[in-house]
Parts: sequence; C-alpha cells; structure tokens
Amino acid sequence: MSGHTVPAPAGDAALPPGPRLAVEAVSMTFGSATVLRDVTMDVRPGEIHALVGQNGCGKSTLAKILTGLHRPDPGSRVTVDGVELRLPVRPDESRAAGVAVVHQSLGLVPDATVLENTRLGRYKGSRFWRRIDWKAEAEATEAVFERLGPRRIPLDAKVADLHEDEKAVVAIARAVQDLEEGGGIVIFDESTRALGRESLERFFGLLDRIVATGTSALLITHRLEEVVEAADRVTVLRDGEVVVAGKEVEGMTKSELAHLMLGREVEGLERRTAEAAESEAAPVVIDGLTGGGVRELSLTLRPGEVVGVTGLSGSGHDDVPYLISGVARAKGGTVTLPAGRVALKGLSPASAIGNGIALVPEGRESAGLVGAMTVTENIAFPQTCTAKASAKLRPLGGGAEKQRAADWIERLDVRPPWPHAALGTMSGGNQQKVLLAKWLATDPSLLVLHEPTQAVDVGARKTIVEAVREAAREGRAVLVAGSDENELALLCDRVLVFDNGVVERELTGELTPHDIVQAIYTNSPRTRLRERTTRGAS
Amino acid sequence: MSDMSSAAQPATGVTPSPVPAPSSPVSVKSGKGAVWFASRFAVIGVWIVLAALFAVLRPDTFLTSGSFKVIFGSQNQAALVFLTAALLCTIVVGEFVDMSVASNFGLAAIMLTILNVNHGWSVGAAVLASLVLSTVVGAVNGWLVVKVGVNTIVVTLGMGTFLLGLALWVSDLMPVGGLPTDFKDIALLPVAGLPISFFYGLVLMLGFAYVLHFTPLGRNMRFVGESREVSRLAGVRVTRLRVGAFVVAGLIAGVGGVLSAAATGGFDPNVSQSYLLPIFAATFLGTAILQPGRFNPIGTLIAVFFLATGVLGLQLLGATSWITSVFYGGVLVVAVTISTVLRNRSR
Repeated sequence: MSGHTVPAPAGDAALPPGPRLAVEAVSMTFGSATVLRDVTMDVRPGEIHALVGQNGCGKSTLAKILTGLHRPDPGSRVTVDGVELRLPVRPDESRAAGVAVVHQSLGLVPDATVLENTRLGRYKGSRFWRRIDWKAEAEATEAVFERLGPRRIPLDAKVADLHEDEKAVVAIARAVQDLEEGGGIVIFDESTRALGRESLERFFGLLDRIVATGTSALLITHRLEEVVEAADRVTVLRDGEVVVAGKEVEGMTKSELAHLMLGREVEGLERRTAEAAESEAAPVVIDGLTGGGVRELSLTLRPGEVVGVTGLSGSGHDDVPYLISGVARAKGGTVTLPAGRVALKGLSPASAIGNGIALVPEGRESAGLVGAMTVTENIAFPQTCTAKASAKLRPLGGGAEKQRAADWIERLDVRPPWPHAALGTMSGGNQQKVLLAKWLATDPSLLVLHEPTQAVDVGARKTIVEAVREAAREGRAVLVAGSDENELALLCDRVLVFDNGVVERELTGELTPHDIVQAIYTNSPRTRLRERTTRGAS
Repeated sequence: MSDMSSAAQPATGVTPSPVPAPSSPVSVKSGKGAVWFASRFAVIGVWIVLAALFAVLRPDTFLTSGSFKVIFGSQNQAALVFLTAALLCTIVVGEFVDMSVASNFGLAAIMLTILNVNHGWSVGAAVLASLVLSTVVGAVNGWLVVKVGVNTIVVTLGMGTFLLGLALWVSDLMPVGGLPTDFKDIALLPVAGLPISFFYGLVLMLGFAYVLHFTPLGRNMRFVGESREVSRLAGVRVTRLRVGAFVVAGLIAGVGGVLSAAATGGFDPNVSQSYLLPIFAATFLGTAILQPGRFNPIGTLIAVFFLATGVLGLQLLGATSWITSVFYGGVLVVAVTISTVLRNRSR
C-alpha cells in the first residue's frame, strides 16, 4: 500500500477527464412503489467511489440496473466513457464497454477450481470439436493474476480450500480479466461483507494497485470504515434519492457519514457508555471447553455482562458459539447455567435450548431463518420445535404466537411491521432483527451470537446493539463471537482475543476498535485500508 | 436476496424521512387482492365451472347420483388419496418425490391376498404382515436416503421397480382374488351413500392438514422441508424426522394397498404402476390450491376429485381411456403454470 503515482488517464493533465461511468436521471418503479428517483452520479477514472445507504435505500437496485437485472424507467441514462448503454443493460454489451462486476459475497462456486471459477463464462471452444483448450485458459488466467500482483494462487486448487482473501483475489481476477489495463470500471456489490480485517487490508491493497492504473472502482458497501478509510469520493442514497453525490471523503468521519445516510444524528452509536451491570444471580461458567479449533477454554460470564471473543479467522473464536450450543461436537468441557451443569460433549441443540442457551448463528439466509415462512412462524420456531414429545400433536398456541411476534416486531422496530409477511420479502437488516427476536423470545440465560450485525445497515445495527445490551441488562450472560472490531467495541464489556485455539489476551475497560484490532494482529497494527493518493501528484 | 425483494416494497427507512414515502404499504397490498384470491381458488372455480358445463351438456348421465359416486366413491380415488398422502409425507420434509409409493402400495395389496388365499393365513395376520412389510420398505428407503445419503430418486425409483418385480413374482404375473367377502366391508361399507373408504381418505387428509397447520410436529416438518440447517440449529432432530416421514409414507401406502385389495377381493399387480402419474399430477396440482406454492393435503385432496370429475365428464362426452392421460398431463402443466405466474405477480 505504497503511495502510487497515478498516470493522468486522459494523457492530458490540463483537461479534466470525462467520467468513466455516468448515471443520469435513473428512476425505477416497481408497481406503484418508486424505489429510485432521478439518481445522478458519476465515477471518475482511477478512483474508488463508494455508494452507501441503509438497507432498502435503493443501492442494490441501482447495482441491479447496472448489471442488467432490472429495466429502469424511460428517461434513465447510463454511459461508460461517454458511450451510452442500451437499457436494460445487456451484460455482454456492458462487459464489452468495460464494466465488470464482483458480486455479493464474491459469487464463487466452492467446489470448482480457481481456474474454472476465473474463466467461468469466458471459455472458448476449439473450432471443430468445441473442446475447451485448458492450456490456453490457464495461460489467460495466469496473465490476469500477473496483473494483480506477485501473490501466487494455484490454479487447480478448489476455491473452498482457499483462504478468504485469496477468494477475493479470484473474484477480482475474474472481473478484471475483461478490462483493458488502465480502463474500465469494477463494481463491487457488497463483495467484502465476509472479509475479516486482515483480508480487508489485503483486498484494498489489491484494489489500490488496480485503480492506480486508471481503472475505476464503484464500491457498494455497508462498512463505513471502508468508505472513510479507502474511498476517494462517496455517493449517499436515502429513500431512493441521492443525498450527496460524489463528495470527497478526505476528512469525513463515520458519524458524519452515518448522519448523511440516516438523515439524523446517530447518538451513542459510535461510543458506548460503560455500565457496570451488577447482579446477584449466579454466573455462567464455561469450563474446559475443547473441540473444533478451541482448546481448554474456561470463562466466567456474569449475568448482565457481554463478553466478546475474536481473533484471526481460524484462531478458534468462531467455533465457540457452535460448540457451546451443541451445534458442533465438542470433545469435552462443561457449562454451568442457572438450570444446572451441562456436559458439552454429546450436547444436542435441543438440550442446549432446553437448558437456556440460545445461538444466533452467522448467515441468516442459510442457518438463521427460512425465507418462505412468515415472520410469525420464524419467531415462534424455537418454541414449536422444543415442544415435548407428548405435546407434539397438540395445537400450537396460535394467539400467543401472534402476540409474541407482534411484541417483538414492535420492540425491534421491524419494518414493514407485517407479522404475516413472508420473511424473504424483507430487507437484510430487518431479517437480522427477526433472527435476534427469534432467539430472545426463548428467554435464554446464555445468549450466544456470531457476527450479529454482519451486512446490516447503520439503523438496524443500532437497534440490534441496543436489543442485545437490553437483553444483558435483564440479567442474561451474553457471548459474542465476531471479527468486526466496531461491533465488538459497541457491544462488549470485555473482549477475549484468540490465537491458535486459546485465549491470548483479554481486553477490559474502555474498548476501542483500534485496541481490538491491535490485539488481534499483535505484530501488525491496524493500518489504514488505503493511503489515498492525490490525483496528479507525483 | 434480501435487497432485491426489499426493492419491491416501498422504501421504508428506519426514520421518518423528509421525503414522502413513495407509496403506502396498504395500497400495494389491496391492489393485489384479486391476484391473491385467484392464486388460491382459481382451480376450485374451474372445477365448479367444469361440473356445470358437464351438467348442461350431459344432464341425464352426469347429473346423477351414479356419477357422484364414481367421482367421490370409486376405489380408484380412494387409492389415489392414500398414495398422494404417502407422497406428501416425504415431500413436505424436503425430499424429492418418492417414486416407490405406488409399488409399495401394490406389494401390500398382493401380499395380503397371497398370504390369505394361497397360504391360508387368517385375514388379520395377513393384513398385519402386509403393513409391516410396507412400513419396513419405507424404513429402508429412509435409511438409504437420510442416513447413507444416497440420492432420493435413485433409491425410490430402484426400490419401486424392485418391489413391482417382487409383486409380479409372488403373484406369478396374474391377478389374484378370493379374499373373504365380508372383508370387503372394511372398504365398501356404505356410509351416507358413499363407501367408507372415501371417509378414511377424508379423515386422513384432514388429519394430515391439521398436523401440518396447527401442531408443533407439522411446523417442524415444514421448517425441515425449507431448511435443514435452520431446523437443526433450532433443536429439531432433523434425521429422525426425515426417516420418520419415509416410514409413515410406507405405512400409509400399505394401508391404501390393504383397503384396495379388500374392496376388490384381490389385486392385479400390474395395476399399481398406473397410479404413478395420477398421484404426481394430483400432488403437484395441489400446490395451486388454497396454499399457492406449498404442498398441502387439502389442496391435494381437492385435486384428486377435480381430476376425477374432468375425466368422467370427458368420458361421458365420448372420449375413451386416452383422455385420462391427456387430461391429467395437460391440466397439471397448465394449472401449475398459471398458479406460479400469479404467485410471482402477487409478490
């Protein structure tokens, strides 16, 4: 992440270069709902341009227009290097014009190799037999990786076996291979949501190298630190309209940005008042937990206390939630709860729940909730499935179920507040609130969360953080596993840092994101994601 | 993903924004009332229209108690109801179609007859043995699919073919008859003008619907069908539930087979395969009735009688047996297509 000299892309420094990508007067109407109105923004050559806004603001819709999934209303215009694209965007045309996309969560096929993933959609058949010439494909791929830097990734490795930042490299390689060197634009549609801090730093190192050549990047993201630390300019959408178009990011703070996104002051979002929650109730004691990547973890959680566990990916911290809740098999250890002492070896999820342990897992789409069922059914699910065998065929308490759903919808401000809406129709932030409600409704004595605010907007994050703190105030012990230092700093009273399966450090007192990151990367203090280079300066 | 669908909804921000909301949620919802209604009740409407049409065209044959009995009381429909219920058991918990239910049904029917007629077992013992056999078949299916992890289609298609072969072997490829005449009553005893087997089917499907809709067990089945991981994390014993669905499917198919053999006093082992397409047609058509997009017992029950009405009416209009296939196949594709389109529109 050295300071790069940016070659003036147009060749002539005197003339301001035309925009690489210009979006003009784009509107989008679904039925009677206007999702985007009159959106105008531009991305300059060689810059990282961030597009932010809370869930439901329309930024994903804009991304889908740019990738051709939606047809915008008449009158909308999208131009690349001054050439207008036909609407709706045809992916092959926009690719030819120099638009590449890295999809949400990278969009890779885990079971396929690096080579197969990179060349997906670009294979050339031989003239007669239409066979794939794997040698030529491999050479083309090597050439792309060459452009991206000295890191070597074996082409025949399975993507599932790669480290997360190597996966990011593969996704970027696939996107940029069609771009002329120094030209084009890469759209990152929430591609970084699963990357930990270390991987994020590498990611931006790579991105810096790409934009230094003159290629542009449009970064659609939830993480404000990416914008503040790495972007050159930012466009903010709120309720389908541009609030700020192409503002220089230099000198902006996260709370200013959050204010722009929400249209109000976000109090207490960035800092938490440390409150010593004292309680007479017995603590929750984890003793000798071993299994997965964790060795002999012993930990005492006072009721009302929120304890974080973190570390590099693979350090073991992210196995803790699943071992405690019986979802992953523990080799040994016990946990002592108000309900009694429970052996972790052979613990089933059902008995964990029965003993008052609730797990809010990572991945609301895959492990957390069912999109085809209603909000009410999702919230009530832990109750229905822990029903005693004798009660399995008794009718569900329909009225109580509805009441409970209505209560939680109100408490967590779920929007839209429709208990009978299919869960899948809601935005990510609201789904995450429902996921939290589902488990808080079991009234657990130990609440375990894994990445509780991943990929949610600032507003939902605030609600979730407050709800978790509130759950602690009610006398529960709370354990949060995560790699997002901002989230941990907001939520936790103390943070345990894992290294190689054991707790390496404990952070107490006033927690700052900086301290947490520093503790995770003991030898590599948190660096800025990217040193911004002033255009034209040498 | 989430954001795509959120886009279709009005942009409801967390804060009241200075910008007026593009549209109120209520107006979006009520405008779709007609579509909402159509996607649930259109097939029932077509059923009524169809019946009225036949009544007008063939008043002396269609508008008789005889045709009413053919539609609701025939043993063919009773068999279909049991077979679709067996198929639904595994579909609801997320398995792809169980291809072996029809053969399992046939094996139970032929075993009962052979054991009683050829081997002199008492009827009670023969019934018990047949039911045990079909339940064991279900358990083997479940063990192979759920515990061992073999592909559902491979296991059940293979099992179905294997059982059909066994049934043909034990019966020497011939229809077998000669069950005691008073045994008929368990299937044919008239109740309010219809054979009791109709009411067995009705009770079975209503009970199934009740379990699915109102009980914890049913909710668990639905969730397992939608997402095994979510269910496992919530404490459901997913493996047990899936194996159990196969076992119960085998048992229901066996009961259907026993009733079918009882009604006709024996069984023709070649018949069971002819049920395969109709049960798929009725089960999938059921997803276009009452609960659009969901496999549901009541919708399936209605679909069975809807299809029977259509076939009977067309036969009275002069069509011969080819009409069964044309009608089953055609209606299935058309109805499910329309239902899917309506459902996508109502989102």
